[in-house]
Amino acid sequence: MKKTILFIVLGIALTNGVFAQRYLTKTGSVSFFSKAPLENLEAHNSQVNSALDLKTGDFVFKVLMKSFEFEKALMQEHFNENYVESDKYPNATFKGKVVNIGQLDLTKNGSYNAEVEGDLTIHGITRPVKETGTFEVKDGKVNGKSKFTILLADYNISVPAPVVDNIAKEIEITVDVMLEKVAE
Amino acid sequence: MRKYVKIIGLVMVAGIIAAIALYLFVYNKPHPDYAKAHPDFVLTADVLFHSYHSGESASANYTGAVLQVTGTIHKVESAGDQVIAVTVFEEGLFGDEGIRYAMLPDYQQKILQLSTGATLVIKGLCTGYNDTDVILEKCSIIE
Repeated sequence: MKKTILFIVLGIALTNGVFAQRYLTKTGSVSFFSKAPLENLEAHNSQVNSALDLKTGDFVFKVLMKSFEFEKALMQEHFNENYVESDKYPNATFKGKVVNIGQLDLTKNGSYNAEVEGDLTIHGITRPVKETGTFEVKDGKVNGKSKFTILLADYNISVPAPVVDNIAKEIEITVDVMLEKVAE
Repeated sequence: MRKYVKIIGLVMVAGIIAAIALYLFVYNKPHPDYAKAHPDFVLTADVLFHSYHSGESASANYTGAVLQVTGTIHKVESAGDQVIAVTVFEEGLFGDEGIRYAMLPDYQQKILQLSTGATLVIKGLCTGYNDTDVILEKCSIIE
């Protein structure tokens, strides 16, 4: 399988030795929430790969769409088959940077405000995003959190006509990753 | 005439009730019980991982399918309320790469007590490959 650009970038970075301060998780959490007239939509995914380089600020995510869990099985089916077409577009990715990483000392305990910029790819559509979040550092672990909103139309996610009034046009995404330092 | 109207009315009411009941049944249908589900594929961990890793059409076959996998468990991780057994094949950018089995709550204690290096048969829902690992969720231990 052809590796994604995300991992090519990571590979080049590692080869060049710039990932000397890599923090990783494979059990990051991404959830989304959408307020709708009939019933709110909510789903969780706890199998998210994420990596942060403290030196360069490089910050990446990779999310398997079929790992999102809904309360209702029917909603989960519709999400995968009709909205995000997860057979065709199995992953969502974020590739970007913590642009103010130079002002943060994430090797010390504390709470830090982060500014993140990069490209978010969902449903095969890549768009630039600029969001804020926090890093909470405790005992060598970096807990990254962010909450932001996206428009379904920006990612070419169309809602079938019969339920178009019951599905909100924007969804709130919550990211929560506990990153741990990779042993050198 | 009035009798026919009454019958037609009763049939219509019964039809509406049946339609509502069917809608509620479908709308609220439970998630599959993956511990009891019949596997779509029975295979070894080696075949599964290398099918995805080599770029064969593994995704079309296995993603979204219930898989019964025989493999060696090299480590078990806990994260929040998750317990994940791991079969490791390679070392990569994200550390160990292989197959990650997220266990159902009923099987978490058993897998935590397992000595690493044991060979198990595990069944679960394959949600895909994230360029480092094949992910199986709702996993149960068959033997």
